[in-house]
Amino acid sequence: MKYIIWIAAIWALSQGNIQAIERFDYHTVRKKTTLSMPEIYEGEFLSEAGKARPQDMRGFGNDWSGNSHLLWDGLVGDSSMLEFEVAKAGKYAVSFQWTMAPDYGQFEVRLNGKLVEESLDLFSPLVGLARLGDPIVFELEAGIQRIGIKLISGNVQAKKFRGTGYLYGLDYIKLRDLTPKLAKVKEIKEADAFKIPEVDFVKAQAIMKRHCFRCHGANKVKGEINLEALTSRADVLKEVDLAHHAMEVLDKAEMPPEDELQPSKAERVKLASFFEGVINEYVSANTRLEPVVMRRLNRYEYNNAVRDLLELRGDIYPLPEKVIRSSEYFDPSTGRMPKAMSVGNRTLGKFQVERQILSGADPFAIDLQAEHGFNNQGEQLSIPPILLESLLKLGRSIVSAPEFDGYTALTETLFKENGQPLVDRLRPFLEKAFRSPVKDATLARYVAYFLAEQKLTGSYTMAMKSVVGAVLASPKFIYVAENKYDAGDKTQTSDYELAQRLALFLWSSIPDELLLDSARKAELHQPNILERQVRRMLNDRRSRALSENFARQWLRLDQLITAVPDFDRFQVYYSRIGCEQWKFGLQTMIEPLLLFESVQVEDRSIMLFVDSNYTYRSDELHAWYTKPNAPFDKRGNRSRFNTFTQTFRKRHLRTRREGGLMTTAAILTMTATPLRTSPIKRGAWVATVIFNDPPPPPPDVIPEIEADDAEIAAQGLTIRERLKQHATDQTCASCHARIDPLGFVLESFDPIGRWRDNYRGGRDIDTSGKLFGEMEFSNIEEFKDLILDQPEKFMRAFIEHMLSYALGRELKITDKPAVDRITRRVKADHGRFSTVVVEIAKSVPFRHKTGQAELK
Amino acid sequence: MNILKHKHIPRRTFLRGCGAALSLPFLDVMQGRGAKISAPKRVAFFYTPNGVAQEAWHPKSIGDNFALSPTLKPLEPVRKNISLFTNLDRVKVPGTDGHAQAGACYLSTAAPDDLSPAGYPLRRTIDQVIADTVGNLTPFRSLELSCNSFTDNRESVYFDNISWYGHGHVARSIKEPHKVFRRLFNIKDHQENASVLDLVRSDAKDLQGSLGRMDLHKLEEYLDSVRTVEQQIERITKRQIDVNDLGIEEPEKLWTTMRRDEYIQVMGDLMVLALQTDLTRVCSMMVAPERWDTPLMFEDVFEKPILHHGWTHNQKDQKVLRELEKLDYFHMTQFSRICQKMKAIKEGENTLLDNMMFIYGSGLSSGMLHECTNLPTVIAGNAAGQLVTNRHHKHAKGTPIANLWVSIAKAMGCSIDQIGDSTGPLKGFAV
Repeated sequence: MKYIIWIAAIWALSQGNIQAIERFDYHTVRKKTTLSMPEIYEGEFLSEAGKARPQDMRGFGNDWSGNSHLLWDGLVGDSSMLEFEVAKAGKYAVSFQWTMAPDYGQFEVRLNGKLVEESLDLFSPLVGLARLGDPIVFELEAGIQRIGIKLISGNVQAKKFRGTGYLYGLDYIKLRDLTPKLAKVKEIKEADAFKIPEVDFVKAQAIMKRHCFRCHGANKVKGEINLEALTSRADVLKEVDLAHHAMEVLDKAEMPPEDELQPSKAERVKLASFFEGVINEYVSANTRLEPVVMRRLNRYEYNNAVRDLLELRGDIYPLPEKVIRSSEYFDPSTGRMPKAMSVGNRTLGKFQVERQILSGADPFAIDLQAEHGFNNQGEQLSIPPILLESLLKLGRSIVSAPEFDGYTALTETLFKENGQPLVDRLRPFLEKAFRSPVKDATLARYVAYFLAEQKLTGSYTMAMKSVVGAVLASPKFIYVAENKYDAGDKTQTSDYELAQRLALFLWSSIPDELLLDSARKAELHQPNILERQVRRMLNDRRSRALSENFARQWLRLDQLITAVPDFDRFQVYYSRIGCEQWKFGLQTMIEPLLLFESVQVEDRSIMLFVDSNYTYRSDELHAWYTKPNAPFDKRGNRSRFNTFTQTFRKRHLRTRREGGLMTTAAILTMTATPLRTSPIKRGAWVATVIFNDPPPPPPDVIPEIEADDAEIAAQGLTIRERLKQHATDQTCASCHARIDPLGFVLESFDPIGRWRDNYRGGRDIDTSGKLFGEMEFSNIEEFKDLILDQPEKFMRAFIEHMLSYALGRELKITDKPAVDRITRRVKADHGRFSTVVVEIAKSVPFRHKTGQAELK
Repeated sequence: MNILKHKHIPRRTFLRGCGAALSLPFLDVMQGRGAKISAPKRVAFFYTPNGVAQEAWHPKSIGDNFALSPTLKPLEPVRKNISLFTNLDRVKVPGTDGHAQAGACYLSTAAPDDLSPAGYPLRRTIDQVIADTVGNLTPFRSLELSCNSFTDNRESVYFDNISWYGHGHVARSIKEPHKVFRRLFNIKDHQENASVLDLVRSDAKDLQGSLGRMDLHKLEEYLDSVRTVEQQIERITKRQIDVNDLGIEEPEKLWTTMRRDEYIQVMGDLMVLALQTDLTRVCSMMVAPERWDTPLMFEDVFEKPILHHGWTHNQKDQKVLRELEKLDYFHMTQFSRICQKMKAIKEGENTLLDNMMFIYGSGLSSGMLHECTNLPTVIAGNAAGQLVTNRHHKHAKGTPIANLWVSIAKAMGCSIDQIGDSTGPLKGFAV
C-alpha cells in the first residue's frame, strides 16, 4: 500500500521547495490528561524528572485526582524540573494542587523561570491535599512548559525523609484558557493538503517506454509483467494490482534496477503519481471491502473470553503465548510503566507460570500465524473433529476443576440456587457469552437442557455447570459470527458486532458489561462514544493482550524460542555450561515487549519502536550487552544467573546504536544462524516487520553460503563480500539489492546481538547501504535517522499490521483510503500510540462488514 | 531435577504391553469372541519434508528384486514387502510457497489449476477421500499424527499439515503421544461428549440463517465435526470391551524429553496399535513439517542440532550432501522399523503389513530446486495382494502422482477413477 504523503514529499522535494527537515523528538509524546477533565495535567503524567515517580494514593483516601500524584525527594538545595506541553499559545490561569505530609519540605516554585511560590511549605502532620493554589495568570507559548521546584528548607516540625531530605507531592496542575474562543479553525481539508498534479496516460507511457519496456515490454516479459500491453488509462485501471505494485516499486526506488537507465526524480514522481491516480480512481469506484471470513477464537482468545465470561481469578491453562510471566506491573490507567518490574519468562519453563490455572483443563493446540499475518484469519482457523472433541472436553473440565468454585466470581450469582428465576440468570449470561441479544428459542433450549441435567444429577449447581460447559463449546461462543445474510456491499456493523470487534482487537476477549450496555443503547457507532470506549479499554489491564498477542506476533518473537547459537562459541547464551536446554538468551524476549508496553501504557510515539533513548533490562541482560566477556561477573558455572524472576529496570541508553526494536538481542539472535549472522534473514525481518514489505518467496535456486563465519573468514572474506560474490546471478540480484542493505546495517551486531567493532578475524565491518535505493547511510544511527525523517513509512507499516490484526484478514487495495487516512492522522499526532488504535477503531473497514453473496 | 543430556533408555518404555509388543493377535481375539471379521485393508502415509538427496536415493536397477540404493538400505529386512515407484510427479503452482505446497498439497485431490482462495491447489486429501469409504467401519474415520517437535510456531498451517478435509479445513494432526493415546483409548472421554451435541448443533443451525456464504462454509465444518464426533462415540462404545481388554497404559515419559528416534517410534507404535486393533484404517504421519528453518537435534546421528531445510539448498557441497544422506538414511530407518513392527503382527495367515499399504513419500524430490518431479515413493505392504512387491516400478516420465492416489484408493475399495490431474490408475496394481 503506498502513498500520497511520500509521493507528495518527493514531489515537493523535486520542486525544490522543502528545507532540510528538523527532526521531531518523538520522546516528547506522552500520555495526555484524561478527556473528562481537559484542563487538568495530572502530576503523575508529567515528564520524567530525575527522582520523581508516581505514587498510588488510594491508601490515603479518595481525594487524589487519578488516585495518584507525583512524588519527589531530595536534599536541601536540590531541584526537580517538570515538563508539560501546551497545544496553543495564549493566556492561562495556572494553579497547582500539592500534597502535604509530615516529611514534606519547603519549596520555591517557578514556571518558565517566573516565580510562582517563594516559599511553599508542604508540611502537615497528616497526609492530605493542600488547598488548591490561587490561579496565577501566565502568557504561555505553545509547546513545552517547565516547572522548577527547588527544595529550600524544611519546617521545624517536619520529619526528615530517610533522615536526610524532604519530599513533595504534586497531584495536578490546572490550566484555564483565558483567551477568548475564536471560531473553530477550519481544518485543512485532507484532500487539498496532498493534492498531486494529475498525470495523463500519454506522459506516463512515455516514461515507461524509456525506462521500463526494455524488460517489461513486448520483447521481454520479466516477472510476467508486460507494461507495454497497457495502451490506455482504462487498461491500467483493469490491472489495479499491477498499478499498485508499480507504484510501490517506484516509491521505494526498487525499479528500474540500479544498473539500468534511471529516470529523473521528477519522472519517477510523475509516473508514481500516475499510478496513484489510477488506484485512487479505482478505490473510489470500488468501495466494496474484502469480506472477513468468520473466524473462531484462537487459544489465547478462548482463554481470555472464558476468564472474562466466568470472572475467573486467573487463566484456564498455561499459555506459552504469554512471554512475560507477571502482570502485576502492567496498569495502563496509571499512564506510567514502573521504573522496575519483577518478571519471569519461559526461560525457566513451567515453573514460571504467573498465575493460577485450573487443574485438568487441557489447552487445544496453538494456531499458527499466517505467512505474513496473524493467527486470527478465518480461512486458516477451522474446527476439525479433534478440535471439537478438545473443546467439548475443555468446557466440562473448566467447570469441574476442583478449584473452580473459588476461582470464579459467579459461584453465588450463577451457580448457587437463590430463588432467582432461571431465565433471569441465563438470559444475561447467554447474552454476554454469545455477544448478541438472546432469542427466546435459544433461551428455551438452554433452560430445557438445564432442567434435564438437574433432573439427572439432582443438583442445581451441577446442572448450571453443565450448561456453562455446553455454552463454552457452542458455535455461538467459539465463532466470531456476524449477521451477513442480507449485508450488501458495505454495511455498518451492528452495535453488538462492533462491541465484539473492539473486545477482540483490544482485549483478545469478549465485550464487558459497559461495552454491551453501549451496544444495547445502539450508541457505539457515535464517534465520541466509540472513542471514549476505546480509551477506556486501553486504560484497562486487559489491553495487555496487545502486547501478548499482537506485539509478539508482529515481531515474530516466537522464533527466538528455538534459536540455537552455537553452544561452544556462544556459551554465554546458555545458562549453565554443559547444559544446552537452559538458555539465558531467552530472557532477551522480555526487552522488546517491555518497550512495546511502555509505548502503549505511557501513550508514547510508535516511532520509539524505531529509536528510543531508553530500554528495559535486568542487570544481567544489561551486562550481557555492555560486558560481553563477563556478563555474570564472578558467579561460577553452576548457576550463572538468577533462575527465578528477574528485576527489569528502565535504563537510559547512552548510545543511539541501541534503542528501538531492531537492535534488541532477541531480534538479532533469532535472525542469525548458529555460527554466523545472516544479513538476508535480518534484512527480510526488517522489510517485513518494520516496513510491512515482505520479500517475495525466495526463488527455487537458493544456494547457501558457508554455515560458519570462520570458514568465510578463512577465505579472507567478510560475510558481506561472500554474499556479494555469491549473488552474481541476475535473477537474485534485484531482490537482494533490496533486502540485503537492511541486514548489512545490522552487521555491527554479532549473532547474539552484542555490539562488535570488527569481525572476529579483525576485518572491518561495512554497514553502509542505501535505503529505498537512494538514501545513503553508513551505520545504524544514520539508518534510524532516515526512518525517523520519513516517519510516515514506518507509521503506515505499523498501521497496516495492526489494522490487519484488528480485522482478522489480509489488507487489500480497497483498504488504501482507510490506511491513508489513519496514517495522516497518526502522523499529525507524531505517532501517538492511542491515536493509531482510536483511528483504526473509527475506520471504515473496522466499523463495516461486507456481504459475501458474490463470492466464489 | 536432572532432565539433561542423559541418553538412558527409559526403564519403562511406553511400548511395553502395547503396539508391536501386544502379545495377542488382536483380530483372532475378536474373531474368538464371535465377531465376523476378516482382516481389513489399511492405508497409512509416512511423510518426510524437504525432499531427499537424489543420488543416494535412486537404485541403479529396476524391476523385480532390484538392488537397494544406499538410502533404501534400511529396508533390507522388509525388502520382500516393499515396492519402489519412480517418475511420479506433482505440479507446482506459482504464487504460493513451494514448501507449503509440498506439504499441504502432496495428498490433495485438486488439479493444479484448481486453486483455493488462498492460492493452493488444495482439496480434500486422498487419505480423507479413502476414509469417506472405509472410515465408517471403524470408530475413528482416520488418524493424523505429526512428529513436529518445534516449539517456535515459525511457519503457517500449510507447512505443518498433509491431511485436509478441504481447503481452509485442516485435519489437524496430534503431536503429543499421550493425547493420541487418550483419544484412542479413553472411551469415557468420548462418551461424556455426547450430552451436549444436540444443543450445540441447534445453536449452529440457528446461526445458519444469518451467515454469509463463506461463513456458512466454516459453519459446515463445525456441523461435520459434530456428526463425526457423534459417530465416533457410537462406534467406540461398541468396541468398549475390546479396548478395555487391551490392558495397555499411557506413556509415562514426557514426549518433549524423548530422543528424535524414540519420539518417531512411539508415534509409529500408536499408529500400528490403532491399525492393528481396527480403531481406524486410515492414518497419516508427518515426520517433520516442511521448511521450518529451526535447528533440530537428531541424537546419535549428528552432534549438534541441524537445519534440514538449509542443507537441502546447499547440497552441491559434498560435505553437506553426505550429511543430508545420513538424515535421509535416518528417516528410512525409522520407516523400516515401523514396517518391521507391522510385519511382526500376525493376522491369520498374513501379517498386518501384508494387509496394508504404508507409503513413504515427500512433496519434493530434490529440495535444492524445490523440484516436484520424480518424487521419492516407497510402498510397504500390498493390501492383501493388490500390488506387486519387491519391485522397482519405473513409470513413464511425467506420470502424475495422482495416478498413484487413484490406485491406492481403488485398492482400498473406493470407487474412484479420476482425481485432480490423474490420467488413470497406475501399473503395478492389481485393480
